[in-house]
Amino acid sequence: MKLINRYVTEVGKRLPLVKGRKDIENELRSTLEDMLEDHAQKSDKPADEAMEVDLLKEYGSPQKVAETYNQTPYLIGPRMFPFFMMILKIVFAAVALGLTIATAIQIMTQSPMTAIELLSAIGKGILNIFSACIAAFGNIALVFALIERFAPASEFKLDEEKEWDPASLKKEPEPTEVKAWEPIFAIVFTFIAISIFNFNPQWLSINYGDNNMWFIGFGDFAAGQKGSIPLLSEAFFRWLPWINIGWVAEIILNGMLLRTGRWQASTRLFSIAIKVLQIVIGYFLLIGPSIVKVTAESLKAIEGFDAKAAQILATMAQQGVRGLIALIMFLIAIDIIKTVVKLIRQKSSVGA
Amino acid sequence: MTNTESFENVVLELRRGVIVLAVLSQLSDEQYGYSLQKLLSDQGLEVDQGTLYPLLRRLEAQGLLESVWKLEEARPRRYYVISAEGKKLLPKLKKEWAGIVSVMDKMLA
Repeated sequence: MKLINRYVTEVGKRLPLVKGRKDIENELRSTLEDMLEDHAQKSDKPADEAMEVDLLKEYGSPQKVAETYNQTPYLIGPRMFPFFMMILKIVFAAVALGLTIATAIQIMTQSPMTAIELLSAIGKGILNIFSACIAAFGNIALVFALIERFAPASEFKLDEEKEWDPASLKKEPEPTEVKAWEPIFAIVFTFIAISIFNFNPQWLSINYGDNNMWFIGFGDFAAGQKGSIPLLSEAFFRWLPWINIGWVAEIILNGMLLRTGRWQASTRLFSIAIKVLQIVIGYFLLIGPSIVKVTAESLKAIEGFDAKAAQILATMAQQGVRGLIALIMFLIAIDIIKTVVKLIRQKSSVGA
Repeated sequence: MTNTESFENVVLELRRGVIVLAVLSQLSDEQYGYSLQKLLSDQGLEVDQGTLYPLLRRLEAQGLLESVWKLEEARPRRYYVISAEGKKLLPKLKKEWAGIVSVMDKMLA
C-alpha cells in the first residue's frame, strides 16, 4: 500500500486548497484499496507492488486526477470574460490617451530641447504607456480572478441575462447608403490638403529660431526665425500636379455622393479609377528620388542638433516616409478590392 | 478533428446529463463510490472515477445527496445516499427524461 499512500499524497498536493481536501484524499485511498482488493481477487493472488503499479497506471497521473476535482479551472471564466475585455479596452484607451497628453505637455513645457532629448522624451512616453498598460492588465486580471474565485457566477447578471428586446436591434444599414458627413468631411480635408501643398508648402518645414527652439510645420520666414528646412523635395513637387488631379477627382466624387446619398456602380467605378491613379503616383514616389528634403547636413545647420542626432532623424524621416507611402499604397489596394467586391455584389443584387 | 474524435465528443456530451440521473436513481440505498461505480457498470453504464467522484461531491454540495463515513473491513468508506431534496427532484427528472426519450424516439424513427 506504500505506492497508494504516496500516490494519494501526490494527488493531495495538486488539489485546490479547499475545505474537504483531506476528505478527497481519504476517499481516493479507500477507493484505490477497494480496487486493488478487487484486482487481487480476480487474479487469484495476493496484492503486490506490481499490481499496485498497474492499478495506479490505470487510474491516471496524480495531476489528471486532481484536475477532475478542480471546480474553478478558469482564471477568468467565460461568463466574466466579455466584461473583462470591455474594461480592459476602456482602461487601455484611457491610459494611452492620458499618458500621450502628459508626454505632449511635458515636451511642450520643457522646450527648448535638443533632438536627442526630444527622441528620448518620446521614447520614454511610449515606454510609460507600455508599462502602464501591462500594470493595468495585471491589476484588472487580478481583480477579475478574485471575483471569479470568490463570488459565485450566479450573482452576476450581465447584459446578456437581462430581458432582451428585439426592438433594440438597430436598423441594418443599407450597403450603398452614404452618410452626409462622410463626403463633407472628405471634401473639407481635401481642400485643406490642396491649399497647403500647393499654396503654403513652407508650412511643411522644420523651423528653428532663437533659444534653440525648433518645431515642425507652419514656418514663417518673416517672424524673425533663424531658418527653415522644407520637408518635401523637388521630387514630390514634380508629382504634385498628378496628385492634384487625384484630389480634385476625390472632391468631384464626394460631391456626387453628397448629391445622390448612395453609392452607385458609376461612383464605385470612378472611385476605383481614382485609387488606381493614387497607387500609380505612390509607386513613382516610392521608386524615384526621395520626396523628403530633410538630410543630415540640413539638420546639422540647426543649433542644438548634434551630428549623430541629425543622422538618426534624417534616416528616420527618409525611411519613414517611404514606409508610409508603401503602407498607404497597401491600404488603397485593399480599398480597391473592397470596392470591387461591393460593386459585384451590388450588380448581382440588382440582377437578382 | 477525426471522425472518431467527433463521435467520442458527441457521445461524451450525450452521457454527461444522463449520468446525474443515473446516479440519483441508484442512491435510494446507500453506496460508497466504488460500489456505485460497479452497480452502474453492471447495468451497462460505464462511468470513470474521474467523472463519478467529483460528480458525487458536486451533487452533495447541491444538497441532492448526503454522505457519511463508515468504518468497514478495517477500511473507512464514504457512503452516499439521496437526500430529501434529491428525492423531491428525482420524479421530476424522470418525467423530463421520459419526455426527451419519447420526443427523440419519434424524431429518430
